[in-house]
Amino acid sequence: MTVGPRLFSILRQGTCLIASIHTALDDSQLLRFQEDLIATIGRDRARGVVIDVAALDVLDSFATSTLRDIGEMARLRGAATVIVGIQPDVAIAMVRLGLRTGVLETALDLEEGLALLGDRMAGSPAARR
Amino acid sequence: MRSVPRVAGGGADSRDGGSLPGMPAPAPAGPPPERRRPLDVAALIPIVRRIVAARVPDRATADDLVQETLARVLAAVERIEPGMVEPYAIVTARNVVATMWRDQDRQRRHQHRVVDLRPPQLPDEDVLAEEDRAAMAEALTRLSERERSTLLAHEVSGQDTHSLAAELGSTAGAVAAQLNRTRARLRVEYLLAADRVEPPTPRCRPVLLALSSGDRRRQREVDAARHLLECEVCARLSEPLMGRGRSRDDEVRVAVHADADVVAARQAARDLATRLGFSPTDLTGIATAVSEVVRNIVRFADAGEVLVELLDSPRRGIRIIARDSGPGIPDVQEALRDGYSTYRGLGLGLPGARRLMDEFAVASEPGRGTTVTMTKWREDA
Ligand SMILES: [Zn+2]
Repeated sequence: MTVGPRLFSILRQGTCLIASIHTALDDSQLLRFQEDLIATIGRDRARGVVIDVAALDVLDSFATSTLRDIGEMARLRGAATVIVGIQPDVAIAMVRLGLRTGVLETALDLEEGLALLGDRMAGSPAARR
Repeated sequence: MRSVPRVAGGGADSRDGGSLPGMPAPAPAGPPPERRRPLDVAALIPIVRRIVAARVPDRATADDLVQETLARVLAAVERIEPGMVEPYAIVTARNVVATMWRDQDRQRRHQHRVVDLRPPQLPDEDVLAEEDRAAMAEALTRLSERERSTLLAHEVSGQDTHSLAAELGSTAGAVAAQLNRTRARLRVEYLLAADRVEPPTPRCRPVLLALSSGDRRRQREVDAARHLLECEVCARLSEPLMGRGRSRDDEVRVAVHADADVVAARQAARDLATRLGFSPTDLTGIATAVSEVVRNIVRFADAGEVLVELLDSPRRGIRIIARDSGPGIPDVQEALRDGYSTYRGLGLGLPGARRLMDEFAVASEPGRGTTVTMTKWREDA
């Protein structure tokens, strides 16, 4: 199954994971991405996840709902999620499609995403208790 | 998962614009018809001889009739579509024989006595020729009297469309159109007769006819592509008919079976739309709408097809037709309402796609399938 170029990568950086999608994924591949990412969060005890979707030219209802699921699952496992790199045209299409990223945090790019996560991880344990 | 007959994009393996598939190649194998036409007619001699000889036992009379047939074919060769030369010769030969007999009833009464007195050179070839002959004869009987007489008057007697129009109280253009329809019908009836099949549904003939005539508007009206997904007989018979349309680079077809085809379809749509100069925002919108619509095929129907085509009129634009032979959507109005959800997800598939496109229509029949047609126009075109 893992022949050819890698579809996505999940890298660890401190207590964070940086998950990058490299190319357009079909639904099955998106679900595999979700599985791998959730498993890695548990294994690495990650506190935060940045998902870089800059390579995606389409974020349709399934991709968006998968990202929301990932955010929700990660939250239940104690990790915060930030989506970065949504392209301007993709953002326009998502809004016209009527999609809401809902609970998902978003940031413009990887740098801002990591900064946002830093804030969240610094603030949230204290805020919780 | 069902296998889906390939609905080719066109151009595939058509020897020329109008060849009747399965016609026996006159031996020796004919040259390309568009170039060496006189030689092509000469190559028809064996089949014409066989047709005539099979009906006229008397050798001298048969030779005369063969000469007369070839003379008529030669006289008309400029007017004949390249691929119609063989069927034309067959029609002409039969008509020449019939004219000699004058009385059509007598012809029918004597048909069973027809004897081919000439020894067959190659038994197989002869059997094949016999079958084709029978199929063509059968096909001709299935035309209406009016269709047959107009076709024969034009193809055999060489009457031009203007004088035919005057006789029929019509216009030359209308007569030419009718002749084209008749030829298209003849091709369909020939294929059915050669295959010895009766179309299993009432939709079959209209679909095959639309394919045979290459009439794309009509193909849409009868939903030909969807019928080919459902009907094994038409899927098989239509193969030789599909090559008839000009090869087109302004449309793409994507067969849909699996998740990966959703991505393939939206990329195909984006690629084609890019050629029309849509803005990046529109391109993304189109790709997203295609993704939503095609996903429904994979989710609900297992198999289907997406046709993406560029439009010229009334404006430049792109049209996407996604069809499947799945269970259908029971309540289309309901499905187009926001919040409709029958699969894991936001349930925004159809209403969302509709918002991204300029025109959007869903036709669905429970148990038969769904067709979504959506169009995006170039804003400044
Ligand atoms: Zn059929």
